[in-house]
Amino acid sequence: MSRITTKSLRLPKRSVRAEHLGYFRFGRIGKHVVLTNDAGEWSQLTPGEFDAFLMGNVEDGHPRFEELRERGFLRADLDLDDMARKIRRKRRYLGHGPHLAVLITTLRCNQSCAYCHASRTDMHRTDTDMSLETARLAVDHAMKTPSPYLCFEYQGGEPTVNFDVLKFCVEYSRERNKQEGKTLDHSVVTNMTYMNQERADWLVANKVLVCTSLDGPESVHNANRPWTGKKAAAYESVVGWMKYFNNKYVEQGLDPELWHVDALMTSTKRSLKAGNQIVDLYVDLGIRNIHIRPLNPFGFATKTWRAIGYSMEEWLGYYERTLDYIIELNKQGVQIMEGTAATFLKKMLTPDDPNFVDIRTPVGSGTGQICYGFDGSIFPSDEGRMVHGMGDSIFKIGDVYNTSFEEAVNHPTVRSIATASYLDTLPMCATCWNAPYCGVRPLHNYMQFGDLFAQRPLTGKCQQHMGIVGLLFKRLANDPDGAVASIFRRWTIDRPRLADET
Amino acid sequence: MSDTTTQSPSEMEELVYDTDGRRVAFTLDEELYPREAILGAAYLFLDRCFVFLERPADQKVQVRLKTKDGASDPDALEVLAGEFANALLDQVVRFRVAESTGQLREYAFARAFFTTPAQSSIDQLLAELDDEELEEDDLEVAVPWEQDGGGQ
Ligand code: SF4
Repeated sequence: MSRITTKSLRLPKRSVRAEHLGYFRFGRIGKHVVLTNDAGEWSQLTPGEFDAFLMGNVEDGHPRFEELRERGFLRADLDLDDMARKIRRKRRYLGHGPHLAVLITTLRCNQSCAYCHASRTDMHRTDTDMSLETARLAVDHAMKTPSPYLCFEYQGGEPTVNFDVLKFCVEYSRERNKQEGKTLDHSVVTNMTYMNQERADWLVANKVLVCTSLDGPESVHNANRPWTGKKAAAYESVVGWMKYFNNKYVEQGLDPELWHVDALMTSTKRSLKAGNQIVDLYVDLGIRNIHIRPLNPFGFATKTWRAIGYSMEEWLGYYERTLDYIIELNKQGVQIMEGTAATFLKKMLTPDDPNFVDIRTPVGSGTGQICYGFDGSIFPSDEGRMVHGMGDSIFKIGDVYNTSFEEAVNHPTVRSIATASYLDTLPMCATCWNAPYCGVRPLHNYMQFGDLFAQRPLTGKCQQHMGIVGLLFKRLANDPDGAVASIFRRWTIDRPRLADET
Repeated sequence: MSDTTTQSPSEMEELVYDTDGRRVAFTLDEELYPREAILGAAYLFLDRCFVFLERPADQKVQVRLKTKDGASDPDALEVLAGEFANALLDQVVRFRVAESTGQLREYAFARAFFTTPAQSSIDQLLAELDDEELEEDDLEVAVPWEQDGGGQ
């Protein structure tokens, strides 16, 4: 037994005169203390300014007084009605209901990606195709959402393998929408391996947005996403089709800034060394938005994880290097942005929230999105469907044959997910400086820890979000000529593509 | 709001802890460190060490932090103790601010969401926002491309 010794620490007392202050959260990021509040306002103070602020010494005449007063950090002239208005605007999505309907047209897929979580089946398994009747009921169900905007997102498997059902959903929903009068979008998430000219031309003519996966240069992409039976061709195929679509949009007179194939990338261990090359490839292909995403650390055999995985710390280092490269390119006039940074920047730099279903409070599962499996099963989100595919139906909230829209979105499972993702009530999030911008993923927690809530310091998403937003604050704090701020502001501007007006 | 949240400025604070080379233990008085602040600080360390909480006496909470690998590293434990102490002091500030501003927040949230029947207030807000967005849209980013000359 070791000997117990008693020691002591002498620390400067944090004095606070709270009656001078508005509500704020704070955190120490780099050399600054970041203050945030419920309206999403923020300020970065030096430690000396922070101490003065806590002591109630930031008064009229202090260089930071106006800024802190205006943003609601000081009790002086605190306008609670204005604060309420800003909070309401930030959370306007709360009254809308699901605006994203994910339809799984089939589980069949001809790729077997190293990191795939989506339950997939081989190409002969036509029994995992959605039928036309199920598709009709799923569209009817989804269109009951009170949201005035609805995006149908077609996923799989490889959704284009069941192209007739995809076409039917687009056409039938447009027909139905003549009564509903919603703004509709359609988007297909495809690996392009089943694309042909007829399908591509139909998607262009019908203004179905196309999103694909491109993990990086040929060696990285082909290693991550082997194409069954055609080992080397996945990269060639996806890049070839991206060019085809992009040329078609131009031929049709569509604005290429708005109309181009979007691509998502997933980073494996190989990607960590190729950040700049990946960005260059995206720029060469005319893509304006790159999402640098980490692997989700669940559903892997240990052996696979050892081959392709990494720690969140390693990923954040890679993210930082790549983001800095993207900022550098922007300074040279190249238009490319990082998607997750842009989502957070919209929260930080504009009065609105982008309503990105995975990063909001509560998370969008069941309240911002809804997912329809190939057999008509209903889930709060695509992840719920994946858990179901792994043999656990805990997130199944009904089916299109027997469950009304109201029953599905009011399902106790949806309520539990909302409770588990409401940041104001979660340990650590409740007082975290990042809460106005962040979101947690109960379904990820369930997959990783068997618990919707999990413990924040142990979840990769917490580290990821804190790391990214912290990095954005650091870059904004170290920006003497305002160049970074102006690039970041540009990333927050959305120009809507044409949505279906019929 | 009451003045009970005011503390005297710029004093030094002494935090005593015990260590046996594998763990550090703080015995904290809830009168000085509110329980919420102690629990909040302990929670922040869940990824770095095992956290044990005990109540050795009324109004006292003992927090023991034990390294996950069980290794003896007195220097690392000193750092851990210092970081816990800093986190605790920050949590006390958070607690004081939350206590003092709770009613302000409740008011703001009630005004934001419950002043009028939910749907009509949302509709009204959307109308307001749409007007505002048009007013603020100097770059005309909301103009659909078909109308700004870039269309089909
Ligand atoms: S998940 Fe982590 S970063 Fe996000 S609000 Fe909660 S504690 Fe903060």
